[in-house]
Amino acid sequence: MAEHFVQPPHWEWYIVGYFFCAGLAGGLYVLATLLRITGSPRNDAVVRAAFLAAFPLVVACGILLTIDLGQPLRFWHMMINTTPGDGGLNFKPWSPISLGTWALLVFGIFSFVSFLLALWRRGSSTIFEVIGSVVALFLASYTGVVLSVSNQPVWSDSWAIGGLFVASALSGSAALLVLLAHWRANSSWSEPRLDRADRYFVLLEAALIVVFFVTLAQAGTLAKTFSGVWLVMWILVFLSLIPALLGSAGSRRTLSAVAVLVGVLLMRYVVIFSAQS
Amino acid sequence: MTNHWRDIKNADVIMINGANPAEAHPVGFQWFMKAKLDPTKGPGSGGGAKLIHADPRFSRTSAVSDMYLRIRTGTDVAYFGGLINYVIQNNKYHDEYVKNYTNASFIINKDYKFKDGLFSGYDAKKRTYAVETWAYDNEPGPDKYAKRDESLKDPHCVFQLIKNHYSRYTPEMVQTITGIPKEDFLKVAQIVGEMGRPDKVMTIVYAVGLTHHTTGSQLIRSAAVLQLLLGNIGRPGGGMNAERGHANIQGNTDNAISWEILPGYLKVPLPGQKTIEDYVKVSASKRLLGISWNFFGTNYKKFIVSLLKTWYGDSANKSNDFAFSYLPKPAGNSSWMTIYDQALQGKMEGVMLSGMTAASIGPDSNQVLTALSKLKWLAVMDPFPTTSSEFWHASGLNPADVQTEVFMLPTTHWIEKDGSFVNSGRWMQWKDQVIPPVGDSRHDHWIVAELFHRVKALYQKDGGKFPDPIVHLTMDYKDPLKPSLDEIAREVNGKDLKTGKRLATFAKLMDDGTTTSGNWIYVGSYPEKGNMAKRRKGVQDPAKNDPTGMGFYPEWAWTWPLNRRILYNRASADMSGKPWDPKRAGIAWNGSKWVGDVPDYPPKMNPKDPKAWLPFTMNGEGVARLFASSMLDGPIPEHYEPVESPVKNALHPDMSASPTAFLYDKAAKRENRFGTPDEYPIIATTYRLTEHEHYVTQQVPHLVQLQPEPFVEIPTALANERGVKTGDMVRVRSKRGKIEVRAVVTNRVGQLDLGGKKVYQVGIPIHWGYVGIAAEMHPEKSKFWMANNLTPFVGDANSRTPEFKAFLVQIEKLA
Amino acid sequence: MPEPVGFFTDTSICIGCKACEVACKEWNQLPGNTPKFGDGFDNTGQLDAENYRHVKFVDLVGDTPIVTGNGNAWLMMSDICKHCTNASCLEVCPTNAIVRTEYNTVLIQQDACNGCRDCISACPFGAIGFSESSGTARKCTMCYDRLQANMQPACAKACPTQSIQYGTLSQLHQKADARLAALKKQGYDNAQLYGRDDSIYGGLGAFFLLMNKPEVYGLPNKDNAVLPRRNNRMGYFGGFVTAAIGIVAGLVAFRSRADAPPAKGAEPPASAP
Ligand SMILES: Nc1nc2c(c(=O)[nH]1)N[C@H]1C(S)=C(S)[C@@H](COP(=O)(O)OP(=O)(O)OC[C@H]3O[C@@H](n4cnc5c(=O)[nH]c(N)nc54)[C@H](O)[C@@H]3O)O[C@H]1N2
Ligand SMILES: Nc1nc2c(c(=O)[nH]1)N[C@H]1C(S)=C(S)[C@@H](COP(=O)(O)OP(=O)(O)OC[C@H]3O[C@@H](n4cnc5c(=O)[nH]c(N)nc54)[C@H](O)[C@@H]3O)O[C@H]1N2
Ligand code: SF4
Ligand code: SF4
Ligand code: SF4
Ligand code: SF4
Ligand code: SF4
Ligand SMILES: [Mo]
Repeated sequence: MAEHFVQPPHWEWYIVGYFFCAGLAGGLYVLATLLRITGSPRNDAVVRAAFLAAFPLVVACGILLTIDLGQPLRFWHMMINTTPGDGGLNFKPWSPISLGTWALLVFGIFSFVSFLLALWRRGSSTIFEVIGSVVALFLASYTGVVLSVSNQPVWSDSWAIGGLFVASALSGSAALLVLLAHWRANSSWSEPRLDRADRYFVLLEAALIVVFFVTLAQAGTLAKTFSGVWLVMWILVFLSLIPALLGSAGSRRTLSAVAVLVGVLLMRYVVIFSAQS
Repeated sequence: MTNHWRDIKNADVIMINGANPAEAHPVGFQWFMKAKLDPTKGPGSGGGAKLIHADPRFSRTSAVSDMYLRIRTGTDVAYFGGLINYVIQNNKYHDEYVKNYTNASFIINKDYKFKDGLFSGYDAKKRTYAVETWAYDNEPGPDKYAKRDESLKDPHCVFQLIKNHYSRYTPEMVQTITGIPKEDFLKVAQIVGEMGRPDKVMTIVYAVGLTHHTTGSQLIRSAAVLQLLLGNIGRPGGGMNAERGHANIQGNTDNAISWEILPGYLKVPLPGQKTIEDYVKVSASKRLLGISWNFFGTNYKKFIVSLLKTWYGDSANKSNDFAFSYLPKPAGNSSWMTIYDQALQGKMEGVMLSGMTAASIGPDSNQVLTALSKLKWLAVMDPFPTTSSEFWHASGLNPADVQTEVFMLPTTHWIEKDGSFVNSGRWMQWKDQVIPPVGDSRHDHWIVAELFHRVKALYQKDGGKFPDPIVHLTMDYKDPLKPSLDEIAREVNGKDLKTGKRLATFAKLMDDGTTTSGNWIYVGSYPEKGNMAKRRKGVQDPAKNDPTGMGFYPEWAWTWPLNRRILYNRASADMSGKPWDPKRAGIAWNGSKWVGDVPDYPPKMNPKDPKAWLPFTMNGEGVARLFASSMLDGPIPEHYEPVESPVKNALHPDMSASPTAFLYDKAAKRENRFGTPDEYPIIATTYRLTEHEHYVTQQVPHLVQLQPEPFVEIPTALANERGVKTGDMVRVRSKRGKIEVRAVVTNRVGQLDLGGKKVYQVGIPIHWGYVGIAAEMHPEKSKFWMANNLTPFVGDANSRTPEFKAFLVQIEKLA
Repeated sequence: MPEPVGFFTDTSICIGCKACEVACKEWNQLPGNTPKFGDGFDNTGQLDAENYRHVKFVDLVGDTPIVTGNGNAWLMMSDICKHCTNASCLEVCPTNAIVRTEYNTVLIQQDACNGCRDCISACPFGAIGFSESSGTARKCTMCYDRLQANMQPACAKACPTQSIQYGTLSQLHQKADARLAALKKQGYDNAQLYGRDDSIYGGLGAFFLLMNKPEVYGLPNKDNAVLPRRNNRMGYFGGFVTAAIGIVAGLVAFRSRADAPPAKGAEPPASAP
């Protein structure tokens, strides 16, 4: 059984917010790209909405991440080595937090370009978006991996958090797009497709939560996150997925999308707080 | 200490009773650990010295000891008595030593008796003994030398009396009294028995866990008797080692902080002693054998005359008997508790406290606080506010009703002045000022000097009943209002008035008024060569600075007397001058002189000379006392129960507690303040924690962080009975008061099985009160934080030391 | 390069006096936390940004009137950053604020750290704390400043029993081996060296003689002493697989089959095909 004698890093609401935004931003970008690849121009409105939303979310990520730092003005130390005599860039591929910082920066560029293009209603090259999507998926995934690559109980006892966060990034962003589609004109073609996608993603997310629990059970630390108030929250997370799984339409569809989004946030909250409790 | 801190590394067995050195003397404790880690030390074939710790509580000392014995508080006489019995019955004592170096062979008055818990000569009304029957039987002749039987067979010889006395202390009896299981006791006895061999040596270390009892003096003596039987006094690695208190408490005692002595352990004169001759006759010991040097007794007059010359200069001369009449001759006792007892009785006008907080240090703080509130004035000299300078905040006192005027005289802390500290091993070490004085604070000695000059001026102006002792006192300092400690140190050392040069040895002191010395035992500390206490030749070069390898380091600081590291070191060698253990020599006769430590003996006296002095040169006997008629509560240590005890004395139930303990309330006709076991079934003891120095460190943030709140250590079983968990608030009450503190539940304290009766012991650290950082965080709660709210106002017959370490309480959980 | 240095802490002779804690605070000018009652003897609670040393107390005393102490019944251990050979903290630190010094110790450069706290989540010994006042992660520096002045660390200097011994690791290893042998001879079968060999994070710069199992002291044993990076591969793999499945699912969901766009207001298909 894995025993832990670490202390909590006190990653709290800023980080929950960052992970949430990073997942949504990444997910939006990926979904926009997928819609572009698979869909017809009838998806354009939604694609544009996704690109327009992704970048502000990335900006939010940067802000949240920076203000969470003990020394916000030193955020750039993540990239530039200030050790006397060393200098150069900080790039530690085996450290997810290092890699993730670069990913955020790179994705920031992609999402910014796509944002501008969307603003000017210009198309961009699919290759560009595909590469951006890979980075986006990495961003969504690393936020989970950074937890696993630690020695915290729960976090480091499961390798599935990266996957879990990808799945929930996709389900969350699909839900967000459902909402955007619902409110925007010219999106009705995309809406059911998004809804269908969301259903798949929610299924995927549910599966990964199960995998997550199984890995924790193997490590013997399931109880840490699966008891007390945390247990109640996990139940809420599951409940949040059900409407989307059952499928619906109209205003119930928006409600189920909202539920998915709340679930995505809550899931990150439980994972982050329960391990540190 | 007969020995010194560093010397503890030389021991094979370290017996610790009534002390918690790992917590109260952590730095000195390094030598315990050195002995433990030294494979050449230890009983049997070595493998490291063994630490045997008997304590009511498993403490941080117990944690690193080889054997921990849970002993009932106040019962160490039974433990040591049992060991004495074992050692004698099994012939484990050091025969040659006992015969030649102790008074084992001395014959005692035929009328001496011990029966039903009483020694002969008891006066039940006065609760005192007449000691005539405890005296030695004398040889006929003018010298009145003591009779001896060197075969130790005479039924009236000390050895037989001791043997007989302790035959009652069987392992079963030890178990019944102390709670130490017989088998465990015998394990210890076996190891201790081995220490009677000349090639083995044990040290006994003790502190206030033995002194803070109504039987305190006898508790210590019982250990000393054991050490003498084992031949361990005077030897490196042996001795009776009192770990002293405050950094300079040894220096304080040497310089007469106790009311009954003058500097250098000269007695305070008694009423009726009109001349120095009268005084010396009563105070100085008499030579009891032809080959006894009786150094102290012989030179007593020189010491007192030199002291008077120091104090009164030219006003002390032959024509006025060296101003002997100036010395006070108190008729009554003036010890600590007596002061507050007098105040309670309304007989005390005012009190000056310096470096001590009367309110916290108890006993029976509530009573002490009442006493303080009956004073007209109270002056507190201290660097910090204390529970005394703020005493009207105490629980039970209404500030509006307290009429006492309180003066605070802010002093420097010792860290803000230079001067010497004398440690438990009698090492006088000079220290520098570490930080400059803060604010308007003044040195104590400046305050006292100025006060003195103002009083003197009043006497000069107004006269008075007896102004001479004041107006003639010398203050020969450069600035009489601001003497320096260096000047005072030189004055204490003393000088030859004919040459004006400072002396290097007390052998040069005279009784004709031509020498001065403020304290004869410190002569040589500051000779013309300079301040010896400043010497620092230490571990930079052990080969050179510690030539014997025994850890004497003769040129590190200075030890009284005469830089001697081990007292009675003549006893470390056999009659012929050969060390008992050549690997651990104290001193040795090399054919022409004694080498090693500074000998406690004439340096060139040939031990083979039939007229050579006996080894214990200070005593009239010339040998050490197994039987001591100078004790007020009995010549042989006997077990008595603490005044508050849950059981009757198993040896003599009708004479349970000490018949001579001083019962202040009774003597002053106040109401009894003792509790009974039915109401207060739990035994409590009080003690220190590493993290605090009594009360003063309540002002030190780092230490308050380490130990923020008071607590009581409660045995797990008792806690379960009362539904108490660690961290819960509990009330602990005694007949005298209560405290409300956190519970710490642990098996480190526990139950004792006393011949079928089960009792619990709890432990209460002393460090809290209503003043300090923690108290400010909890102003209401802290009114019930003073451990001494619980302790009894009663004193040991000899020293009047309070019984801080054994009393009865009851415990309840607070909501 | 100076020889690698470190601490050998012999818990069997620790007397829990906390001189090391205080000496460290004095030297490093650490303010210390608000006073708080812990369990009576351990009121410090943990290593953190104000306590680079923390003396742990583990009470195993049974309710019997005689006990062999010898560091065996009431365990005391002065805990500290272990200056791991394979240091989890150093591994994850994104700013490279954590470096290995010329003395082979692990140091957080205070002017480089930006307070991301990833090292805290990584250190398996809970040795690092976040300082609200400096906004950085802090832990034992092995008195880097004193080492540079050829002085031994403050805590070792203050330790009265020499439970904490400072020196070159090679010397300390020898001393530790001798002490362990002596204890084994006395029958202390549970006595063991912790971090002296490379089984714990490649060897610890601050290693210990323990009188009981590491877990009893709150230390990871061999099986639990694992580096954060162990989860890198599987973590990303999980993310990759999920992403792949997600993309496929997305493509399936979005594929632009001929289904006509539903008329405005009409119900969409009730379920996926
Ligand atoms: N950290 C720290 N050190 C100090 C001090 C301090 O306040 N704090 N104060 C200094 C002073 S002034 C002094 S006098 C010394 C005192 O030093 P110590 O005497 O060592 O201190 P205490 O803790 O009062 O008592 C020692 C032990 O005696 C035990 N005990 C109580 N009754 C008995 C008994 O009847 N028999 C036996 N065998 N043991 C008993 C107690 O449980 C306790 O563990 O410490 C000095 N050193
Ligand atoms: N129940 C119980 N009661 C006990 C004990 C016990 O074991 N149990 N132990 C007893 C013993 S052994 C002792 S020694 C006492 C200790 O009791 P105290 O001696 O009263 O305790 P400290 O806190 O050491 O007090 C010293 C005071 O001296 C002040 N001070 C420090 N330096 C200087 C200086 O240079 N000049 C002046 N003027 N003041 C200075 C400090 O500020 C502090 O207020 O407690 C006794 N009371
Ligand atoms: S406080 Fe001072 S005197 Fe007491 S043990 Fe520490 S160093 Fe020694
Ligand atoms: S103990 Fe923790 S902080 Fe210290 S070097 Fe190892 S991983 Fe880093
Ligand atoms: S908190 Fe500082 S030292 Fe720790 S990982 Fe972040 S930047 Fe590095
Ligand atoms: S080495 Fe220095 S910084 Fe580290 S614990 Fe010791 S004193 Fe503190
Ligand atoms: S200073 Fe030494 S003996 Fe004291 S707690 Fe620290 S390690 Fe233990
Ligand atoms: Mo004391």
